[in-house]
Amino acid sequence: MVARSGGPTLIRYVGRRALQAIPLLIGIVTLIFLILHLAPGDPTAIWFNPSIPPEVLDRMRVNMGVDQPLHVQYVRWVKAFLSGDFGYSYTHFRPVRDVIGDALPNTLLLGGTSLLVIFGVGCAVGSLQAVRQYGPTDSLLTFVTLFLYSMPGFWLGLMLILVASTSLSWLGLPVFGMTSVDHSLLGPLGKITDVAQHLVLPTIALGLASAAGVARYMRGEMLEVIQQDYIRTARAKGLPERTVILRHALRNALIPVVSLLGLYLPLLFGGALVIEVVFSWPGMGRLMYDGILARDYPLVMAASFLFGALVVVGSLIADLLYAFVDPRIRYE
Amino acid sequence: MSWPSALMSATLPALFLAACDAGPPRGADTGSGADSLSAAETERLAVETYRAAVVTADSIAHEANSESSRYGGTIVVAGRNDVLTLNPLVATDIESVQHQAHVLFTTLVRSGPDFEPLPYLAREWTMDPEGDRITFHLRDDVYWHDGVPVTARDVAFTWERVVDPQVPFFNPAYFDAWEAVEVLDDQTVRFTVRPRSNLLYGWAVTAIIPEHILGDVPPSELADHPFGTVSPVGSGPFRFVERVPGDRWVFEANPDFPEALGGRPYADRLVYRQIPEDAVADAALRTGEIDLIVDANPASAQRLSADSTLVVASFPAAEYALIAWNTRRDPFTDPSVRRALTLAMDRESIVDVVRGPYGSVSSGPVGPWHWTYDSAWEPFPYAPDSARALLDQHGWTDEDGDGVRENRGVPLRFELYFTPRQAWMDVATIVQANLADVGVAVEPMAREQASLVPLVTSPDRRFDAFLVSWARDVPLDDRDLWACDRVDDPMQFTGWCQPELDAVLDSMQFVSNRESLRRLTHRYETLVAEAQPYTFLYNVETVLARRAGLRGVTADARGTWASVTEWWLDPEARR
Repeated sequence: MVARSGGPTLIRYVGRRALQAIPLLIGIVTLIFLILHLAPGDPTAIWFNPSIPPEVLDRMRVNMGVDQPLHVQYVRWVKAFLSGDFGYSYTHFRPVRDVIGDALPNTLLLGGTSLLVIFGVGCAVGSLQAVRQYGPTDSLLTFVTLFLYSMPGFWLGLMLILVASTSLSWLGLPVFGMTSVDHSLLGPLGKITDVAQHLVLPTIALGLASAAGVARYMRGEMLEVIQQDYIRTARAKGLPERTVILRHALRNALIPVVSLLGLYLPLLFGGALVIEVVFSWPGMGRLMYDGILARDYPLVMAASFLFGALVVVGSLIADLLYAFVDPRIRYE
Repeated sequence: MSWPSALMSATLPALFLAACDAGPPRGADTGSGADSLSAAETERLAVETYRAAVVTADSIAHEANSESSRYGGTIVVAGRNDVLTLNPLVATDIESVQHQAHVLFTTLVRSGPDFEPLPYLAREWTMDPEGDRITFHLRDDVYWHDGVPVTARDVAFTWERVVDPQVPFFNPAYFDAWEAVEVLDDQTVRFTVRPRSNLLYGWAVTAIIPEHILGDVPPSELADHPFGTVSPVGSGPFRFVERVPGDRWVFEANPDFPEALGGRPYADRLVYRQIPEDAVADAALRTGEIDLIVDANPASAQRLSADSTLVVASFPAAEYALIAWNTRRDPFTDPSVRRALTLAMDRESIVDVVRGPYGSVSSGPVGPWHWTYDSAWEPFPYAPDSARALLDQHGWTDEDGDGVRENRGVPLRFELYFTPRQAWMDVATIVQANLADVGVAVEPMAREQASLVPLVTSPDRRFDAFLVSWARDVPLDDRDLWACDRVDDPMQFTGWCQPELDAVLDSMQFVSNRESLRRLTHRYETLVAEAQPYTFLYNVETVLARRAGLRGVTADARGTWASVTEWWLDPEARR
């Protein structure tokens, strides 16, 4: 038996997981390279226009290196990648590293706030429903969560924009972008408030549907836990209902829910792809979307590698958290 | 939009000065061949410039009080696409080009309403009597935003780079008649040229780049140089402030911009923001987060125009939509079939559905945006009966009664490719219904652009028909589309060509007389109309939607941004 957290075992466990991730990431990247290049397409197709002579486009293909055979392109890409060079984006005329460096923090910010909403709201609503099982609150929330869960994120986003710009316009919530026009003139606190305001709508749009899913899940877990013997025991001891629910039931019900975190991370990035376009959020989702349509290979390759890495790291964190909330789990 | 009224709405004393100082383009009209204006043309210009000056002076008297109140505020403009680079050597899309030419940089000349060259950075130019050398005399009061003067060296450097084969400059044809350059002094530069119509047009859309910043950069690295994306230094009416990629470009007024060229713009700041989703741009316009949408969706424009706090305007864009037929494949090898298909399409309805009031039926490759356009010419009406008769005549009849015509057992059925845009899906639906009426079966096929383009441009041309729109350019150089000696080149995908048209298209690039050019253009349109390798669908109008408090926005085919220095915000509309 070893300590539940910390210590050399934990480090060894994380190290082992990291090593396992390497072949996984190589597989992801190779697969994406193949899928991208096997799909029909031409990165100069976005400049399809009779006023641009074919010779210019040929010149661009040479500059991009897509005139080379596939295996040459792959070896080139891997070599450059290993030396930390992601190459130049075809469409942004900048190094891919810079393009992603600008966008990634924005996506992580939006993803982070959405995770808070997903699990915060989800767990709260689910628990409330379980406690009030079959009551009017439960029924109402069941209807609302099922409704939200079945709504596509982009539609929810557009509806939020519509409402925020018309009947709720007195709230003054910005409907697009990440900062206001006068952002650079604001003080530090003003800047934070500005971004926070811009986060409200996209966070709701990105998080609400998943939060509804978590709520359904949480409700089920909670109902199961509430019927356990130890809850009856806690009640029999005369503990106040509040303590019974929050300390004994909630913590135990959370255990399986935490493992959802690993599942929601990739979903979150996938959802960001749509939500970022709807809300003009300058993040990775939009880069990927435009990059895929334009066959901006270096950009899409680097971005998919990062998404892959984030998902791997995310599921590792979920596993660690899982063990943290459940004392029965050990890193052996 | 005529030139005098553009000036009237401007009512800028600066422009009054410009008119007097610069005068009509002297020298370009000495009848020496390439690109010279006719004597009558020059006279007309001189008279108009004079009238504009008088009218402007008159308006100044009336509006002297309000003039100073126009300065100030931040104008926020939204467009569907990001401006990806402000490097004039990589002009990839219309918003980038417009920002380069009108906002951040200056061009050597600028275009009048009929795309005739007018003085700008060059205060005048002279053509040698032989017509093979043109000398530009530059202004001496234009500075790069880092304080270095703009000189003849910069002009020569710009030309050297745009013609450099290592630089992927998108429009090399602008300069293919320009052969050598010689810098005579800081304000004088001389080029050796060959005769060419629209000789100076390239200089009206290609911004001058700074030699003192980019001179040492190897030409092959210029396209990806951070100058275009991170730290551009221009010489135009606005200075670069910051860029947040995927979100915005911020510019501020250049107080040192010469009075003669318009002086300091009214707005303190100009912000361009990317909003990819049309509905979101509409909402942002209503809430006042933005002042102007540069390419509004025609469907939402009609809703926006009902809002009294907004103004919707439009101008003819250099763009038309078409269906290209693969004339290498049956049944499109037969021009009668192609003509019948055009006759069977209700193009008025297509315009109504797709563009609403912001478009018109197109009959040929030249639209209302171009000075050679003839609005009376409309060779193909909507005539399903004629289409049926024509198909009957040429052996296409519905023998088995399944609603689709056959000829020797082969049904009249084809695939129509397009990219998955709402407009194209609407067009495809109407076309499918129209053609079903006359016994032709259409299978609409949506493909994203990156996979559709190789289908039509690759040597085996794996398509029947496809739906696309072309952005046009003033020189109307369409030889890549039609020339017989280019049938195997990527852009000649219809495979149709004709020797007379080849001659006409060649001549169009070399005549200098505007009337001859007009006649040649009409001949070009007639020849294409007879053969119908394309079915021309509609001409596009660019829709601008703005808050009523944003004023001075006058736009025509030269582009939305051509008047940017004259835009101003009502004091109460400022944020």
